[in-house]
Amino acid sequence: MTDPQPSAPPTPTTPDRPYKRLSPLTPLVRSFVLVVAVAASSWDDFLRGDVGPLAWILLAMLLAGAVYGAASWLRTKYWIEADELRVDTGVISRQSRRIRVDRLQGIDIAQPFVARLFGLAELKMDVAGAGDREGSLAYLPLREAEALRETLLARRDAARARRAPGDQAEQGPTAMPHAVPEHVLARLDLGLLVMSLLISPEAFAFLVSALVLGGVFVVLGNLPGAAVALPVFIGFVLTQLRRLSAYYGFTVSETPAGLQVRRGLIDRNTQTITLSRVQGVVVSEPVFWRRFGWARVDVSVAGYGSGGGENGRPAVSTVMPVGPRNVVLWLARRLLEETGSPDPDEVVLVPPPPRARWVAPVGRHFMSSGVGPHLLVSRSGFLNRRTHAVPHARVQSLQLHQGPWQRRLGLADLHVDSPPGPVRVRAQHRDAADVRGLLEEANRLARDARTRLTG
Amino acid sequence: MDDLFDPPGNDWQPVSPALARMRHTVLAVGTVVAALVVVVGLLLLGAPVWLPVLLLVVLLALAAWGWVVVTRNARWWGYAERDEDLYIKHGAVFRALVVVPYGRMQYVDVQAGPLEQAFKIASVHLHTASPGTSARIPGLPAAEAARLRDRLTSLGEAQAAGL
Repeated sequence: MTDPQPSAPPTPTTPDRPYKRLSPLTPLVRSFVLVVAVAASSWDDFLRGDVGPLAWILLAMLLAGAVYGAASWLRTKYWIEADELRVDTGVISRQSRRIRVDRLQGIDIAQPFVARLFGLAELKMDVAGAGDREGSLAYLPLREAEALRETLLARRDAARARRAPGDQAEQGPTAMPHAVPEHVLARLDLGLLVMSLLISPEAFAFLVSALVLGGVFVVLGNLPGAAVALPVFIGFVLTQLRRLSAYYGFTVSETPAGLQVRRGLIDRNTQTITLSRVQGVVVSEPVFWRRFGWARVDVSVAGYGSGGGENGRPAVSTVMPVGPRNVVLWLARRLLEETGSPDPDEVVLVPPPPRARWVAPVGRHFMSSGVGPHLLVSRSGFLNRRTHAVPHARVQSLQLHQGPWQRRLGLADLHVDSPPGPVRVRAQHRDAADVRGLLEEANRLARDARTRLTG
Repeated sequence: MDDLFDPPGNDWQPVSPALARMRHTVLAVGTVVAALVVVVGLLLLGAPVWLPVLLLVVLLALAAWGWVVVTRNARWWGYAERDEDLYIKHGAVFRALVVVPYGRMQYVDVQAGPLEQAFKIASVHLHTASPGTSARIPGLPAAEAARLRDRLTSLGEAQAAGL
C-alpha cells in the first residue's frame, strides 16, 4: 500500500508508481463463446487439411480478435494514486478514468460462469453521482479482486475519516483490512430453499393452471391434448431452477465495510451493503410460508435502485430469500443497525376503520400501519404479506392524500417517500381524524432523528 | 376547510391569481378553436344544423365545468415556509399535502415555459433523493419564485443531512 502523497498536481503522463494489469486471460474470457464456436465448427476441417473459405474467415476474425484483445490488455492499466483509482484503457482512442475512492458507495464482485472457470472475477464499483453502476474492472484473479476491494474500501474510509474527524461511524477498518476475519451471520439452508421454491405462490399457480388445463382435456375425452400442460410445466421448472442456481449458497456475513451477501451456483455474486446507506427493509411472508414460519427480507440501499427481480431473476435487494422468521427479523434489525436496530414487530399496527370496506372491501382486512418511536411501518397483502419499515432518520418527505371517496368516508392515506428501492411505506385508509396527527408526529420524529445522526 | 389540510402554524401562502388566469385563457382559446373546427367542419360536410348546435352546447358545458375546476384548483394550491420544512397542499378533488424537510432537498428547479413567461409566473420544483416526492408549486410570481428558490437552496445547504 502506498501512502497518500502530499497533494501533487495530477499529471496526465504515465506515473512512475507501479501500475497493474488485468488478468492476461481477459480477452479469452470475453470472447470465450466465439472461440469455442470456431473451434467446434472448424476443428475437423483443420485436422483434415480441408479448410473452406468460411473457416478461413472465422480464423482471420479470431486472429484479429486475439491481436486486438492482446493490445487492449496491454493498454489497460490500473493503479491507485492520491485517493483515486485510475484506469487507462483504449487501443485506438485512449481513455483515462478516475474514480475517487471517497465517492465509492459499494464494490461488488461478480463471477460470470466463464470467468469462474478460469478463477477470475469482475469488480463492479458503485460510484455516487454516476447514473448507473459505473466503473467495472474485468477480469482480475479472484484473490486480487478481493484484495483490491478491501484496499479501496479501507482507503475510502480513511479518506472520509480525514475529512470528518468526528465521524466515528466511518472509521475502524482503516488498519489492516486483510486481517479482519469475516464473520458469517446467516447461511441459507439448501433444503429450506428447495422446499420454499416448491411451496411458493408460483408453484401454487402452476398447480392450479396445470389442473385446469389437464382437467379440460380429460373432461373433453382428449387425453393426448393434456400434453399442452407440458410447456407450462417446463417453464415452471426452469424458473425455479434459475432461482435455485441464483440463491444457491446464499451467505450473509459481516465485513468491515458492511454486510456482505454472496450467492450463486453458476454465476457467483458478491455484494456489500453499506449499513449507513440502508433506507429501509421489507419482510415478505407468502401465505404458504406463514404456517412454516418462513419469511424473506429485502433491503433498500441508496444508489442501488430496485434492479432485477423480474422474470424470476433474483433482485439485488434480497438479503435472505427464505429463512425462519426470527432469523429474518434479526437480519432486518442488523440492517437497521445505523438507526438503532429497531424491531419492526414492536410497532403497534392499526388497521383501517370498518367504513373502509367501501373503498377496500377485501384488502382492508390485511392492511395496517403504524408510527413507532424509531420506525414507520406498513403491512399489506394476503397472498404475500409484506411489511415495509423505514427508520425516521431515512425519511425523505411525507405526503398526505385524500381522494373524493375517502373524503366522504373520512379516510386518508399517509405516504412515506424513500429513495428508489423495494421499500414503500403507505398507511392506507386511515381515519382522517388521525392522519394529520400522524404526519406531524412522523415529521417531528424524522427531524429529531436527522439532528441526532448529523450531530 | 377541514383540519386535515389546515395550515401548519400561520396561513397558507396562495399562488398567483395569474395561474388561474393563464389556465382560463388556455381553456377559452381551446374551446373557441374546438368550436370553430366542429361548426365549420360539420357544415362543410353537410350535416344537419342541429348536430353542430348540440355539440356546441356540450362543448360549452364542458368548458364551463373546466372553468370551475380550474378556479377551485388554483385556490387549493398553497405553501407554507417553516423553519425546517416546507408544506405544500394542492388538489381540490384529489387532495394532497407534502412536507419536504429542507435537509432532504437535493436541488430546487425553477421552470417557466413561454406561456408562463407571458403571464409572468414560474413554477418551483423541489427534488429529494426519492422520485416519489411530488413537491411542485406552480404559478408563483417570477420574483417570488426566484426568492423561494434562493431561500430553499441556502436553507437546504445549511441543514443538509446525509442519505
